[in-house]
Amino acid sequence: MSDALRDQIRAFILENYLFTDDKSALGLDDSLLERGIVDSTGMLEIIFFIEEQLGVKVKDEEMVPGNLDGVNKIAAFVQSKQQAA
Amino acid sequence: MSASLVHDFDWIARQTPGAPALSWRGAVWSYGELRRAVGCMQRKLSESGVEPGSRVALLVRNSPHYVASYFGVIAAGCVAVPLNVQERASVLSRQIEHAGCSAVIADPQHPEWSALSTAIASAAPLLLTLDLQTATSGDAFCGALNVNSESSLPDLQGDEPAMMIYTSGTTSRPKGVLLSNGALVANARAIAAYLQITAHDKVLCGLPFHFSYGSSVLNSNLIAGAQLLLEDNFAFPQQTLKRMQEEGVTGFPGVPSTFALLLGRCQLSDFDLGQLRYITQAGGSMPRAQIEKLRQQLPHTQVFIMYGQTEATARLSYLSPEHLEDKLGSVGMPLPGVEIQIRSEGAVLPAGDVGEICARGPNIMLGYWREPELTAQVLRDGWLHTGDLGHLDDDGFLFIDGRAVEMIKVGAFRVSPQEVEEVLATYPGVEEVAVTGVADEVLGQSIKAVIVLREGAPPDLRGVKAHCRQHLASYKVPKVVEFAAALPRTSSGKVQRFKLA
Repeated sequence: MSDALRDQIRAFILENYLFTDDKSALGLDDSLLERGIVDSTGMLEIIFFIEEQLGVKVKDEEMVPGNLDGVNKIAAFVQSKQQAA
Repeated sequence: MSASLVHDFDWIARQTPGAPALSWRGAVWSYGELRRAVGCMQRKLSESGVEPGSRVALLVRNSPHYVASYFGVIAAGCVAVPLNVQERASVLSRQIEHAGCSAVIADPQHPEWSALSTAIASAAPLLLTLDLQTATSGDAFCGALNVNSESSLPDLQGDEPAMMIYTSGTTSRPKGVLLSNGALVANARAIAAYLQITAHDKVLCGLPFHFSYGSSVLNSNLIAGAQLLLEDNFAFPQQTLKRMQEEGVTGFPGVPSTFALLLGRCQLSDFDLGQLRYITQAGGSMPRAQIEKLRQQLPHTQVFIMYGQTEATARLSYLSPEHLEDKLGSVGMPLPGVEIQIRSEGAVLPAGDVGEICARGPNIMLGYWREPELTAQVLRDGWLHTGDLGHLDDDGFLFIDGRAVEMIKVGAFRVSPQEVEEVLATYPGVEEVAVTGVADEVLGQSIKAVIVLREGAPPDLRGVKAHCRQHLASYKVPKVVEFAAALPRTSSGKVQRFKLA
């Protein structure tokens, strides 16, 4: 998995939900929901980010925690979509 | 006759002990199992010396553990104080202190728990932690508490307090709405009656139990023998809808943002929701277009539009589905046993005139905890003054025309602009600040802050937001922060919040 992609996703979440650039504030495997970092509408914003900034269309059935609830999960999902494209 | 939720729950649990009560993360708790767990929490509290009348805080997300603890606290004659699991430790500790809690029941995995347990250590309440991961059954719940269940649940007095819910006041001072056993059960029975809830119902609830709407869903279903499927959030609407289809869900309560999330990314018609008998909507007004979209996508499902507030336990009025079209925009008629009047300066107004919505009935709160003056302001000559503006039409249907008190409604949560302003004012370099609500497609409103900085102070957007996040629940953090040279004011110097948007 590319570090650049992971960094970009982490930076987005740090900037918009934790308001910091301190990487230690968010572990790559942390659950965004369990830690209370995003709520239901925050998750919707993350989906917009993936679609607008990372250029990957998220289908309805792909909106599941396994694809979206954490930096590593999002990165793996985005990468698999990019490779499939 | 004993009038309490515990009494009604106990009765139904004895009738159908094998029936499913709660379903959560793959585990199903039967009514009998839940009743034993309630008895275990009741005994644990009394064996630990927690006296009847004591306040007991709950910091537990929606789960069977929450439900067993909540009913257990009430069964022990204590006052359940459910805390908002989205709040920060500083606010939670202030509420626990304000309520004078003798015990705190908490999920130790909660992100604020370690800070909170330190903050309240000096007051030394009894701490009961519930491990949600391991105690997945009612028996495991009792085992973890190391007690046996009480064989019978007690009769409780209708006029004794049973629950306290903290709501947003106009300042950051905690405001605890104290509700009696009688108020809780009267409201729950009325709701169960008009929604015609039966033991055949399966209701999916993702509304948090610490706020009055979620709590009323819990109460009204568990006294009627229905099954509740518990969810934490609506972050993955596709998954929620799939669960509704697979389980054959018959009832679904939501707030406007719930339906915006469900309708925004998904086609409800892609799912087989043939069993879905009704949906309910409360927690602020929903745009007409959204109501119509729901009607189109779920033609067989009844839509109940409802209105109420925490000070009235939850519910004051509902719009019967057959009037959804001809009374579109109305929140319906008062529940049986509830009276509603529109008043202005003490006088009752005729149909059509806009004034303050006032209500009377068995579901009205006892008062605000330790706030006699505040209580006297809203409970006058037996009538609750809601602070909402509205009017009745010629047929007696209620319409909401706004709030008399300035409040922002983010999703269904009331946020006081003052509370956010008070936090922002403590950020270094802030000279003055004003906060208002601005239109938001999903949430109805989101929060905007306008800040005037002291001369030479740098406009640090991220710093301001980080400061807010540290001191406020995430949903109270302003989405938009602007820096300005001055705030809009009236000639008398009062800040005009409406001009900030």
